[in-house]
Amino acid sequence: MASHYKIKIKNGEKYFHRFSLDQRIQHIILAVTVILLVLTGMPLRFHDAPWANFFYALFGGIERAPVVHRVAGSILLLLFVYHLFYLANQIIKKDLRPMKQRGELTVRNVVLLLLTQPLVPNLKDVRDIRDLLKYLLFLTSERPRGAKWTWKEKFDYWAPFWGMLIIGTSGLILWNMGLSARLFTGETINYALIAHSDEALLAALFLFIWHWYNVHFSMSVFPMGTAFINGYLSEELMIEEHYEHYVEVMTECGYRSEIKPPHGHHSDTEVMQGEAM
Amino acid sequence: MKPPTDVKWRGGPAALLLLLLLGFFPLRPRGADVGNCLMCHKYPGLSRVTEEGVLRLCYVNEDLFNSSVHSKVSCQGCHTDIDQIPHNPAKKVDCLIECHIVEPTSEKKFSHEHAARFLSQSVHSKYDEDGKLKKYAEDYPECKDCHDNPLWRPMSFDKAQHAGVSEKAMGRCRVCHQSDDFIIRYYNHVTTRLHKIRNPKNIAEACGRCHNDPAMVARHNLRTQAGLSYNDSFHGKAASFLNERIPDCLDCHVRKGESVHQMLSHENPRAITHSDNKIQTCATTDCHSNASVKLATFDVHAEFKVGQSPGQFYFTAFFIFLTGCVLLPLMGIIFLDLLRRLFPNLVLRRRS
Repeated sequence: MASHYKIKIKNGEKYFHRFSLDQRIQHIILAVTVILLVLTGMPLRFHDAPWANFFYALFGGIERAPVVHRVAGSILLLLFVYHLFYLANQIIKKDLRPMKQRGELTVRNVVLLLLTQPLVPNLKDVRDIRDLLKYLLFLTSERPRGAKWTWKEKFDYWAPFWGMLIIGTSGLILWNMGLSARLFTGETINYALIAHSDEALLAALFLFIWHWYNVHFSMSVFPMGTAFINGYLSEELMIEEHYEHYVEVMTECGYRSEIKPPHGHHSDTEVMQGEAM
Repeated sequence: MKPPTDVKWRGGPAALLLLLLLGFFPLRPRGADVGNCLMCHKYPGLSRVTEEGVLRLCYVNEDLFNSSVHSKVSCQGCHTDIDQIPHNPAKKVDCLIECHIVEPTSEKKFSHEHAARFLSQSVHSKYDEDGKLKKYAEDYPECKDCHDNPLWRPMSFDKAQHAGVSEKAMGRCRVCHQSDDFIIRYYNHVTTRLHKIRNPKNIAEACGRCHNDPAMVARHNLRTQAGLSYNDSFHGKAASFLNERIPDCLDCHVRKGESVHQMLSHENPRAITHSDNKIQTCATTDCHSNASVKLATFDVHAEFKVGQSPGQFYFTAFFIFLTGCVLLPLMGIIFLDLLRRLFPNLVLRRRS
């Protein structure tokens, strides 16, 4: 059963499981709300730009666009809260309960457990970044052999996490300035406005440049990655980005003999030919 | 209407000929054009170049003028020195003269002198409290620095509120009043005055003519380029999308119920912008009705300047730095990745 779950074979091609249905639904909600927030927020930030009026008019102008923005922001915040529960539930179910049953539930063990969660950055990520730079600077022919979650995906995950805290908190402050000024000071609203606007710009640029390049526009996946829809990644992309994990899954599912070499794994002759170019 | 001023009239005979020719054609009677000035000024090409080399348009759009608040004032009502056609260079219009319109409550001839009196007591007065001319007195505004000839902005209040004259209301007016001209004018006057004659964006632009000028801001030791910092505030952003309900300069700088010409310095304890009074403005029922005193510490005119708002300057700088630190390396990686894919087999490695 596990092998069917982790690898799906369609028309002779292997596809590797990446995201559960729950995760994909969360991602779709995240994507739609973020796009709505950008479309209804950026015209305010760049209100003098010639395109600002057009985008604002798409959402009903100054009367309705702020309502759309707040509704989308509320959904995103609810999603964030849901995700925290989802995350906690996953850790409790998979790690903490077994740990408790083994009688190993101590503060030290819990901290260690949290620090070794799959999406927490680790030393391998540092090594992978180093190796990627070596590869990109033509110093080696091999791409780093990525684990299940590469540093790029961890970056993609934690950047919105941080952004959500900053943009969400400042958004709530700006939503009801009267109440906010009761709780804090008027100047807090100035800082909230800066944080909301500037962090949103960073988040939007990050998503539309970095994230979209990696998952949609890179030459390996162009014109569009489909893992966020069907949850599966092709063998080709698994080899390119997650080779270490690819070998693990192939071995685990009994396809050890079919494991392909990593990309850029050239013989010495090939390397010399490359140099001749 | 721009009066011709400081140029000598060189086209007198030609104009006289034109005048005679036009005299043969019957002309539609004009509302306030008793002097028949539009006979010449209705032509869009009518213009002249001043001795300073500035092109002045002397064209008057009759339809626009008749939709303006001065539509019932005759041309000679403001251009008092013009008593013949063709006329000599006209003097500058004095907005404080008495015009032929009678102010109905006092039954005296109407004048803007009340506004001038308020202005003389405001922060925009050219004179200080001792009656002496202030330093840089020429920077302080005169009537036409802020005002033009605004158009009526009638509102209709029926099932819903919208722009324009309400035919239903007109029907009610006609029950007692016979003259449509009177009804429309009265309707225009009242409903225009029930809201603002200019939208917040236009008001900010009018104030910004002086308050955005860095030289003037420096000369008068002002804290901010007020129009620009307003534009970057929430209020200004909404105003740029032509939101009529958003506060503009006058909403926050003039005490409710007082003339807009009575604007006082924020250092004046009577000013609504004084730190002790600010909250009265923020907490009106139309705005932040639940605002506490602390809301008044919100800096509406904060600028990205270390001297003006150091805390906010460094906070903004942090985000700029963060954005650069995050995006530039990532964009560098994207660029290198694209480059690498062009030469997948190339390796700059020494042969062993």
